[in-house]
Amino acid sequence: MLTIALAKGRTTDGVWPLLVAAGLPLPTALDETRALVFDVDADAATLQVDRMRYLLAKPADVPTYVQYGVADLGIVGKDILMEEPRDVSELVDLECACCRLCVAGRPEDELRPPRRVATKYPRLTDQYFRSQGTAVEIVPLSGSIELAAVIGLTDRIFDLVQTGATLRANGLKVFDTVSDVSARLIANRSSYHLQREAIRQVADALAAAVTRRRRG
Amino acid sequence: MTPCFRDSMDLVGWKGLMCLALDAMRWAERPPGMRDLFPAQARLRRNLEDWLIRFFEDRGFSLVSSGAFEYADTLQRGRVPAASEQWVQVFDRSGRPMALRPDMTPSVARMAAPLVAAGQVPIRWCYAERVYHRSDAPATLSWMSGRAAESTQVGVECIGETGVAADSQLLGLCLDALAGLRRAGVRMVISHALFVPALLELLGVPADDLEPLLALLTAGDYVAFRTESRRFVGEVDVLELLSALNPFQPHTLPDNLVRPESAASQRLQAAWRALCQLADAIRTSDHACAMVFDLSLHRDPSYYTGMVFEVFAPGAGAPIAQGGRYDHLLREFGAPAPALGFTFEVERLMTLFADEELIVQRGVVPC
Repeated sequence: MLTIALAKGRTTDGVWPLLVAAGLPLPTALDETRALVFDVDADAATLQVDRMRYLLAKPADVPTYVQYGVADLGIVGKDILMEEPRDVSELVDLECACCRLCVAGRPEDELRPPRRVATKYPRLTDQYFRSQGTAVEIVPLSGSIELAAVIGLTDRIFDLVQTGATLRANGLKVFDTVSDVSARLIANRSSYHLQREAIRQVADALAAAVTRRRRG
Repeated sequence: MTPCFRDSMDLVGWKGLMCLALDAMRWAERPPGMRDLFPAQARLRRNLEDWLIRFFEDRGFSLVSSGAFEYADTLQRGRVPAASEQWVQVFDRSGRPMALRPDMTPSVARMAAPLVAAGQVPIRWCYAERVYHRSDAPATLSWMSGRAAESTQVGVECIGETGVAADSQLLGLCLDALAGLRRAGVRMVISHALFVPALLELLGVPADDLEPLLALLTAGDYVAFRTESRRFVGEVDVLELLSALNPFQPHTLPDNLVRPESAASQRLQAAWRALCQLADAIRTSDHACAMVFDLSLHRDPSYYTGMVFEVFAPGAGAPIAQGGRYDHLLREFGAPAPALGFTFEVERLMTLFADEELIVQRGVVPC
């Protein structure tokens, strides 16, 4: 059996069409239940395994499941891997669920030097502002980062931006795009060698689907 | 084993106990990264260490030991400067930097060098010691699958032995030990430390860009490796090329990599020949089906000069054993000699055993 941990929410939504296009055996009705573990039968002749298990996990926890080896593979945003480097193998850039890591704030703060930054990514925020030669106070938050700038807790936020709709709805503006991020297929170091053939099949199928999609 | 307080206490007493247990002010703290072992686990670890040491001693290895601190310049020999970032460093009373050893090989090389200089080779030593790394990860996670702040290594070093026979014997020793411990489904992945560097150079990667590319391979970041290597090698998919190579079938080396005029090609062919000879030597061994070659495996530290390997087992998220040949390290310690060795990561090995499994001297029996 091959176990794949999926990052719940935005990443899985963005990656799902690619998983379908790659022809992987997938569970039906992922959204309609509250279950977190889905087992499906797989064709042993093509995939080298007779079952696939999907786990739905919080994005930041996906690399943890994979590093422990309870999931052989994982699909998670590059932002998570950049913020907390883990001892996992990164196999394929899935080129979907694309976002940008951005610095944003209220338009009136744009020309003032940054002093306080709210973020879910304290490590990356620190790296970015140090690379700009600025020392800022970092306020770690775990969600609704925009709120910090809206109510004036901080004069900047460092966050993931997909369409920019949430920023606009809250009267905030992107000041700088730091990095483009996309979903990645990651593998446990041990599974990568022990389940080499099955993992290769999955990785190759996904890479081929990415290429097909790129050619449009 | 754990007493169940719930049975013996009323609810009020149970709640009282919980509050006591979570009262951080009351109990002494433990530094991050350190881990305690209570009776069953501590016994298991000691049994594993004892079993492995006895196993190595029976095969002609002598137990050695050394202090946990080494001078930083001792540890630095044969390694890239950045390696020291991973060490726990302090200063001795004169201000000279020391570090807790990150593995036993430098200590063994330091101890062996005078004997090598006096002509007392071969040296076959084994050890069971704690090693240390800087780590921010919680100890349980890093023990199972990452690099722990403190962990236990039981390993062997052979100094003064060269040739493919010594290489294959060492690989066999490692798998014999696992067979003795009755661990099934293990896989040994073998590569050559000089093959990928030579290949990248042959494909046109400038010497200055080699190190960062190899670091990506060591880290398993194949996405970045592909993107970065494409800057130099064009449309060649290096990972694809590497995965098609199988030293059990010498003809899998593509002809276009064989260029008599290129020094990089010469080095690549030498590494390939060494791997093919090794494949020949292990083909008929009892463990042949547990051994695979994967030339994309690239290992730290930088002092390896020949075959390198890692061993994986179902249930452990990271290699349970690792090693290789390092023929130039002893020269750094003042007495040139070929050498090779490997170590078991004992805490990762422990994850393959249930607590109640007791290891007796000659095998593994459930108690």
